Amino acid sequence: MRALYYSLTKRIALLTSFGALVLLLVIGLALVSFSQYKETLNDVAEHRVQALLTATRLVQQAEGMVNASAMLLLAEDHFTRRQAVFELGDRQEWISRLIEQLQYYQKDSIDLNALENAQTALVDNLNTVNRLVRQRIALHEEVKAQETASPAVIKRLEAITAEITEVIRINRDVSRELTMMVGQQVSQIRATILNEVNVLNEEMASRQTLLFYLGGLALLTVLLVVIYINHSVVGRVIRLQQVLSRERVQPMHVPVEGRDEIAWMAKSIRRYVEKINNNETRILEMNDELSFLASHDALTKLYNRHYFDRKIHEMNKAENIGPLSAAMLDIDHFKNVNDTYGHDVGDQVICQFAQHLQAVLPATALLARVGGEEFAVIFQRLDMENVASILEQCRIQIAETLFVAGEQRLRVTTSIGLAGYCDCDDLAACLKQADQALYQAKRQGRNQLVKETYGC
Amino acid sequence: MGVSKIRLWALLWLLFAWPVGASETHVGIELHLRPPHLDPTLTPAASVAEATYNNIYQGLTRINRHGEVEPLLADSWEVSADGLRYVFSLKPDVLFHNGQPFDAQVAAFSLRRLLDPEAGNPQRFLFSSIASVTPLGRDQLEIKLHRPDSLLLFRLGLSAAVIVEPESVANNKTAPVGTGPYEFISWKPMQAVELRFFSDYWGSQPPIRQASISFTPNRIEMESSLAEVDFYPNLSPMSSVIQLAKRDDYLLNDVITEGETLLVLNHAHPALADRRVRRALSHAVDQRGLLTIYPEARPPLIGSHFSPLHPAYIDLSDRYPYDPERARQLLAEAGYSEGLELLFKVPPPLYAQQGSLHIAEDLEAVGVQVQLKRASWPQWLADVFQGKAYDLTLIAHVEPLDLDIYARDDYYFNYHDETFNQLWREIERATEKIERHRLLQTAQRHLAEEAVHVFLHMRPQKSIRKAGLMGTWKNAPVPAIVIEELYWEK
Repeated sequence: MRALYYSLTKRIALLTSFGALVLLLVIGLALVSFSQYKETLNDVAEHRVQALLTATRLVQQAEGMVNASAMLLLAEDHFTRRQAVFELGDRQEWISRLIEQLQYYQKDSIDLNALENAQTALVDNLNTVNRLVRQRIALHEEVKAQETASPAVIKRLEAITAEITEVIRINRDVSRELTMMVGQQVSQIRATILNEVNVLNEEMASRQTLLFYLGGLALLTVLLVVIYINHSVVGRVIRLQQVLSRERVQPMHVPVEGRDEIAWMAKSIRRYVEKINNNETRILEMNDELSFLASHDALTKLYNRHYFDRKIHEMNKAENIGPLSAAMLDIDHFKNVNDTYGHDVGDQVICQFAQHLQAVLPATALLARVGGEEFAVIFQRLDMENVASILEQCRIQIAETLFVAGEQRLRVTTSIGLAGYCDCDDLAACLKQADQALYQAKRQGRNQLVKETYGC
Repeated sequence: MGVSKIRLWALLWLLFAWPVGASETHVGIELHLRPPHLDPTLTPAASVAEATYNNIYQGLTRINRHGEVEPLLADSWEVSADGLRYVFSLKPDVLFHNGQPFDAQVAAFSLRRLLDPEAGNPQRFLFSSIASVTPLGRDQLEIKLHRPDSLLLFRLGLSAAVIVEPESVANNKTAPVGTGPYEFISWKPMQAVELRFFSDYWGSQPPIRQASISFTPNRIEMESSLAEVDFYPNLSPMSSVIQLAKRDDYLLNDVITEGETLLVLNHAHPALADRRVRRALSHAVDQRGLLTIYPEARPPLIGSHFSPLHPAYIDLSDRYPYDPERARQLLAEAGYSEGLELLFKVPPPLYAQQGSLHIAEDLEAVGVQVQLKRASWPQWLADVFQGKAYDLTLIAHVEPLDLDIYARDDYYFNYHDETFNQLWREIERATEKIERHRLLQTAQRHLAEEAVHVFLHMRPQKSIRKAGLMGTWKNAPVPAIVIEELYWEK
């Protein structure tokens, strides 16, 4: 159940992960493309360009061999001959290394045998030239030493020169062959470079399109996440906020949609609103109760002394309220009831006594409990006889009533003092008169009504 | 389409390839002679030392740019009063490039391997004074000597005495492992040796993080690639080299070396075993004329195997003046008036190539037929230095104060002379400077008198560097290119 509450998180996490995945894909693709780009660039730089450079140098050296062999050819002494041989040796060495390098860079695409054969032919030829030139120098020295050249020597010299010419011709052919072979390599390397670059360009173009779409997808995902969050989170939170801003919020107004975290929160808010509303009702009830208790007697629910006094005060100030009469009632020997049956019984007797009074007295009469067993009544717009008759009826009824308090059955009587026509401003004096009449009734033996007409 | 593609790639380039600027931390060095491998403890070839010494490998001591001894893997040392016991305190927390730690056990292993004839260190004779090597705990090493050796600390700083690690030592020829600031990355066929700063190096990080060391032995080949490199520490001042130095972006520097250039004679050859023939050859070679091969340098002539920079040097360069007639006479006296044919093996250094032509001319002028045979550097090392299959060769001996080679029976000179051996023993025992110098002078005279070789001149050397590359050594007291000390001026 609890797991359901996280469905929103799950959905957002899922959407975000998807977005992140697309972004990672974009980055990954870019990185792979970049590394491929670098790799090809490195390959072109390290291998192809090196191979091109090597092949170009090889062409130069192959051509240079012909020029260098001219130096050997022209050597008139062993020093220059050896110097030329050393230079040719250097070039040969380099050509060997260049061929080796070319093979390293170009691997399978090189006809090593043909190159090596051409080189070997070149070296052999140059060795022959060297041998012939050495012989020629020796013959020249011989001629120089003898001062005249014998025909045999001249013949040998001519033969050597002819041989050298032939060897040089072959040498040029071999060099040309080598140059052409390497030239082919150069164009092959160039084609390979161009091909690699073209393949890379095509690859990169398709990658670019893919990157473009993936970028769009990433953007779309971000947009979706935003819309989803707006709809599923922000919108609902705003609706909640709007409901909560009302003056009087009812729990049923709090929207609970779905079963996710927001719904969970809405439910909590609804419960909280419900609790607040309940508490408010209870406070209002308590206020009512407190306000009732401020004007009523807790035991009999009749008006209390405080209310009665305030009312009298108001009546005193009011104009044209008509003739008034006031009565004071007291339960006879009530102390004995308390002493004999206990206060609980006493309280019940007072309650039932009050109910009798309420039942008998007209609704317009202002009745209040003003002491322990003492009650006061103000009658408005009733003549004295009428009031006296009502009170008398009340006294008789009480005297005849069997009061039931728990298991106790008992009878009580009441003494009543009535002061009539208190139409002046001083109701307090009227009540005092009624109190004196009550006192009179008590003194005359209780259970009776004593009436006095009050005069201002 | 095209523009957007360019934009896209420009953006990607900015994103992924921005931190470049490698040129300020990279240096390209050309060392000319391709070494047979990269283990300086197994070959005397100076280019191995130049490429690896203090870059990949380090010794207990090092020799600085002024030829002075400094502590390196040994922080300090104490010498007993009799000079027979050294106790070295070793630097802690030093790692080899393969992650193994350096300690007294490893140092002892290295030095014992140096002394072991089976291990094949060609310079082990320099360390013959060592009697024993004992680790004292983890950080101290004791070396006991047979006799006092004032050169021990200097020699421990030579490339032959670098510290190697037992697990990797067998592969050092192709995959060198040391404690130096740079670790070996690759040495592909026909490519440069690639080095990179070792991230766990015990010392501070140097300005140069990557270095490429190339070897181009061929003159023509080198001439065409001269401008591709930042630093040529060791070139003979031939005309093509001078040409490069005329460019504004390169600076030329004369280097004083300890390299005695010799026409080496193989004493195993019956004719060359004869002192008269040797003296004849010394008279036959026009030493002063030979200097024309260096258009812009006037190196001092020598008459013995000794550097004019040393205080004990005596000038014997006029002992055998150029005199073809006297040479012919001496040859005739020795019974070679009808001529003599000698095989001259020429190694690839430019001075050797050029010099051999002149020497061959001079020798042939007095009736000695010379067969010039060029050899690649590995071939020369194998055939001449190790195989001793030659009659003549032309080479500069760059090791400082290396008179001992004349006392070594198995050295490629095949020179066996009890008088000199006795003299060398005395030199080694001599502790007093004056006495030692006197004996060194006697030795110089003896070698000259015996005309052991044709002693030619001190090898002039030029270093060429791109303007802006700083920290290069002005002189070369030992063969070394200390990349750690190089930097590009901003």
